[in-house]
Amino acid sequence: MKLCFVTVGATASFEKLVQAVLQESFLAELEKYNFTHLLVQYGKGGQHIFEKYATERVKSSDRAHGLDIGGFDLRPSLTEYLRMVQEDSSKHQELGMVISHAGKAPVQFWITKSMESNRFSGTGSILAALRASVPLVVVPNPDLADNHQQELADELACQGYAVIGNVADLPSTVGKAANRRERAPFFLNASKNSLDVPLSDELSFVD
Amino acid sequence: MASTPQILCELSLKILAPLAAIGFLVVLTILLSLAISQNASIPKVRQRGTPVHILVVLGSGGHTAEMLYMLENTFKSSIYTYRTYVVSSGDALSAQKAVEFEDTFARKEESDNNAKDYNIVTIPRARRVHQSYLTAPYSTLRCFWACLLVLGGRHPAQRRLPAQFQSSHPDIIITNGPAVAVCMLLAAKLIRSFIFVSRWAAGRGSKPDISRLRTVYVESWARVRTLSTSGFLLLPVADKFLVQWPTLAGRRAWWGMKKTEYCGWVVV
Repeated sequence: MKLCFVTVGATASFEKLVQAVLQESFLAELEKYNFTHLLVQYGKGGQHIFEKYATERVKSSDRAHGLDIGGFDLRPSLTEYLRMVQEDSSKHQELGMVISHAGKAPVQFWITKSMESNRFSGTGSILAALRASVPLVVVPNPDLADNHQQELADELACQGYAVIGNVADLPSTVGKAANRRERAPFFLNASKNSLDVPLSDELSFVD
Repeated sequence: MASTPQILCELSLKILAPLAAIGFLVVLTILLSLAISQNASIPKVRQRGTPVHILVVLGSGGHTAEMLYMLENTFKSSIYTYRTYVVSSGDALSAQKAVEFEDTFARKEESDNNAKDYNIVTIPRARRVHQSYLTAPYSTLRCFWACLLVLGGRHPAQRRLPAQFQSSHPDIIITNGPAVAVCMLLAAKLIRSFIFVSRWAAGRGSKPDISRLRTVYVESWARVRTLSTSGFLLLPVADKFLVQWPTLAGRRAWWGMKKTEYCGWVVV
């Protein structure tokens, strides 16, 4: 299995991204890089798009470029899906990739929603994917991204931790992200920073 | 005979000028004490192996996740012998996450009675969603009061600290910037200034004592080039202000204040 996991977040709909990952050209590109599965967390706003696509796919009865496509609206935690993207030979898993939105809803909306949705707010899924050390494409939501989320996406791309995607041209990012395996900074396990020293400083130990 | 405008003018001079002077002095005192407090070095008197009480301010969703990632890399039960987690009311998920975190922590450290070693306290929100700005000052005060109670160990939800702790104040407070952190850090500052003044009045000013209620602020990992609102407000208040991107290092509230320090990615 080689999975491409797409998350659009919970707080705001990002219909353009859902549309973009269900396009023929994008699916063809996934096939080219040997992906076998596509899983889309489409959020509240993307449901009708995904279901429309699914019913059409059933009617036309061809397999979408050999891909198994699945989707769900929301889950409280992404961890198990990120694990499915990681390489694991015991489960016949190849290293997949994650496509994450960046951008959160206007503040008011963000607080109103239950805590579950907060965990999906842009940077949360980006950080989770980085922690899982999987190839990552960040797609800023042009309608919603805060300034600081755009800055984060730019900086991550600049340092090679992620690829910035664009809803208008998503297929081209598949190759860029999939070829990222060898890039060193992508895998963070090497250096673990901790707060040991600064906290000990403040605790003012004798030594 | 003086005309009415002249009288008004004189009156306003007599009343407003002293008020302005007092206001100026108060502001100056606050600014100076903030600067002194931030730059003061603390006596290194804490023995290794003595009990440490850490207070963790958890916020909603994203803040909580980041905070627990950080603590995962940092916590050792041999150092942080007692943990208090503060969550906002209505944020049951953060409380649940804290319990899960403590459970895995206990498994990792193989200690069996760690349920006694931590405490989760829920305090009212500073401002609820869609709450009117008219009542917001009241609820902020309520939040601030709850913070004072927690820091003094007098909040009804708190259990008694284990006997080996000499003070009911936490030794160190760590946060990464939810709204309640502003209340908590200001409350800590207020209590510390009371301790400072009372000690000074009692004539023990020169005796080195263990510093408590030290505050560490870690800016959210998602902040690359701009500080968050909480961060901006707490820049002159926090004892240690850590940032996870080099672009944010070296910031300070104003001239003479302590600068932010780059600590790398502590959330991964």
